Formats: sequence, C-alpha cells, structure tokens
Amino acid sequence: MEARTAANPGAKPRELSLDTIDIVSPEHYEQNGYPHAEWAYLRKHKPVFHVEHPRTDPFWAITKAADIMEISKQPRLWLNGPRLAVFVLAPGEEALPPEALPLKHLLNMDPPEHGEYRRLLSTYFTPRSVRALEPEVTRITTEVLNDLMGRTECDFVTEISARVPVAVIAEMLGVPRPDWPRMFRWTNEIIGGGDPEFQRGENPTETFAQARMEVFEYFTNMVEERRKHPTNDVTSILANAKINGAPMPTLELLSYLLVLVVAGNETTRNATTGGLLAMIENPDQFERLKADPGMIKSAVEEIARWTSPVIQFARTATQDTVVRGQKIRAGESVCLFYPSANRDEDVFDEPFKFDIGRNPNPHLAFGIGEHFCLGSNLARLELEVIFRELAKRLESAELAGPISRLRSSFVGGIKHMPIRYKLSPARN
Amino acid sequence: MKIEIDLKLCEGNERCVAAAPEVFEVRDDQAHLRIENPPDSLIEKVKLAVRMCPRQAISLREK
Repeated sequence: MEARTAANPGAKPRELSLDTIDIVSPEHYEQNGYPHAEWAYLRKHKPVFHVEHPRTDPFWAITKAADIMEISKQPRLWLNGPRLAVFVLAPGEEALPPEALPLKHLLNMDPPEHGEYRRLLSTYFTPRSVRALEPEVTRITTEVLNDLMGRTECDFVTEISARVPVAVIAEMLGVPRPDWPRMFRWTNEIIGGGDPEFQRGENPTETFAQARMEVFEYFTNMVEERRKHPTNDVTSILANAKINGAPMPTLELLSYLLVLVVAGNETTRNATTGGLLAMIENPDQFERLKADPGMIKSAVEEIARWTSPVIQFARTATQDTVVRGQKIRAGESVCLFYPSANRDEDVFDEPFKFDIGRNPNPHLAFGIGEHFCLGSNLARLELEVIFRELAKRLESAELAGPISRLRSSFVGGIKHMPIRYKLSPARN
Repeated sequence: MKIEIDLKLCEGNERCVAAAPEVFEVRDDQAHLRIENPPDSLIEKVKLAVRMCPRQAISLREK
C-alpha cells in the first residue's frame, strides 16, 4: 500500500477506482489516516457502494450525510443488534464462532429495549447536568497542564489528551484515583486490540476478551459495594436501577459500565489530539481562538466535525428497502461513515477547510437518532475546557516528530503525538 | 408553519438552540419555543433544527 502522508510526501496519489478502493483495512488507517480522498470519490461516484473484503462480511458503504441521517432515524427498519460495526479480522486471524452468550449493551440494543436502558442515565448527561462538572473538569485540565510546566517537549496524547477524559469518566463512575491507569489500559486494549502496541493475547479478539473480563471483575466488586452502600455516582445509579421492575441483569449491567468506560474515553482523547493537530496545521485558527475566547463553542463543533473520532457503525435491514435508489435486501448491512458525512459537499461549504467559526455546522460526529451519543454533552464540555485552557496557556506548539496512528477502521486514533511547546503558568 | 416539540422525546441536548437560537431555548432539560410564529427569515434555521434534533422531537406542520 502506498502512503500519501506528510511522512511520505514523495508518494504519488493512487488513481482511485471502485475496483481497488479500500475504506476498511485497519492498516490503511494506520498508515495513511482517514481515507478522505476515497470517501470523496465514493460520495461523487458511488454513494451506496457494495464492499467485499476478504477479512469481513460484505456490506454497503454509505458516505452521504443525508443517507446516514435517514438510516439512523429509522431504528426499527435498521437494527444495531445483528452487526454493530464493520470489524475487520487481523491477517490470518480466524473468525470466531458467534458467542454463546452475546453481550447486550447500549450500543447494540434496539428499540424498545434500548430506550429503557438509555433513559436510566440520559438525565445525567444533559447539558445542564454536565455543566455542573465544569469546575471539576477545569481542575483536572489545569492539573494535567501544570504537570507539563518546566519542560518543552511531551507526548500530547499520553500526557494531555488521554488523561483528562479518563479522569472525568472515572470521577463520574466513582472509580478511585489509583485505578485510573488501569481504566486507561483497558480502553486501549478494547478499542485498539488490533494494534500491536496494545495487543496482549494471541490476537485482537483475545486481547479484547481478556480486557473485558478484567473490567467485569473490577466492576463486579464495585457493584456489590454500591448495592450495600449506595452513593450518587453513575455506578451506583446503575447498580440499583430497575428495568421493568427488576434489577438489571448482571451481564447487562457490567456491559453498560464497560461501554461507559470505553466510550467516555477514547473518542474525546482522539478529538482532543486531532483538534490540536488541526490547530498546529492551521495556526491562524488557533490565533483566532486566542484572540476571541467567545468562539470556543463553535471551535469545539468544528473540532468534532474535523476529527470525527468514530469512523463507522453498521445497521442491518429488517426488510427489503431502498437507499438513494439502490435496492438493499433484508438481512444485508450498511456501514455509516461519519467522517465522510462531515466532509459532504452537499452540506458544508468548503468542507476541507478547518474553520472554527463555521456556522451552521450540522455535523454527524455524534451520530443522530436513536443511538445519538449519550455522552456528547460531556465530550463537548471536556473539549471546551481543554481548548479554552490551551488557548490561554499554550504560547506555541509544533510537531516534534511523526505522529503514530491506531491500526483501526472503527475508531480513528492517534496513539502518540510528540510536540514541542511553550506553556505559560495558570492564571487565576 | 407550526412548530411542535414532543417533550416525551426531548432529552434537552440543545441542538435546536445551536441551529436556531432565536426560536428555541432549553429550560430544565426540555426544549421550549421562544417565539410561536417565527418569521419567514428564520424558516431555514428552524428546518435545520428539525433535521438536527437527535431525538426527532421537533416537527413542522403547515397551518
């Protein structure tokens, strides 16, 4: 595969064609980042494109924003349960037989069950509820930045963008501070098990299974504790919640917590890293934010659009249907590519321009409809605080080495981003 | 045009406020109309709010 990154500027762009286009190989994302040229080509020539890949089941790639919205808003026609996302096996890895005991959680539940589970926590994630966390998020962010004082180089990912979201979700769940590093590792292994850096078992699936078991063991103890002594953290709310009048089944409860740990973590980390990278590549936009802190909200929306940390989720048709004139049969699946929707020429003027003042900015970084990101308001708050503090204190920043990307076509991750920086002290 | 908000669906995510702040506001985690009859100049913004409501809680009806 030919790389067309900044690290390999001499490589010529490949001629794109429907026969050779690749939008799902994890290695492609690792080496080249998001395949925006491929998505743009598909939006133009084949917005509903049938993909066959040797390491996953066939699917239809959906690349237009309007189609993703239409599908996402019909959760009874398009189910999450049968296929959550397009997961690609590692080379040589064999497909596992379907699990005897498939885990159900917020992401792969369908109506009406999904709504019952979602409602248990939705009030804890409204803008009003998360606003109450702002002093805490500010405190955490300030602490993280203070740790970088007196130096001029750091890995922005492990030292800044990963630390804030782990701390915030851990606080919400009531996980004590000494256990935060473990949460960080589990997230890496569950999302990035396909990446050699995070692999622990024989293969990605084993890495995932092992990390999942450890998360379950950890929270089993915590759930018992919270049932005896309820507190006001999210673990306690779920541990003592009732579904249809009965306590939530144990596996569902543990899976719920697992999803919160992982989802509350990885995506915000990557939006933060990608956001700073965009600011480094577009210094005029960072200067604009510094000069006018009132732009922070629209800047955060643009960072979400620009980085789109979730690459895709899938849906499976319950009956024969049609998308943009293309017939899709019951049982076939579609893959919704959110970063493609967020560069859709029919929705955005100059979609490839990073513009922190963009308005309107109807991006789909958090999805839409039944499965709209439960934590979107928390993510927005975290990004707001982080970039507000960075705009105040980061006098300069530049890349100090190559960035390394996660080998995943599910979540767009940056594992490491060395920067050289000048940071000023916190002002009160 | 008549704007209707289904409060059973609304989660208070404030996406309507982002799309059309002249028309929508959120109080106590629920969206409310600031003006019942938005002028024609705001119709495009209202339509965007309808489209971007993650819970499909807003609808527009011809009077």
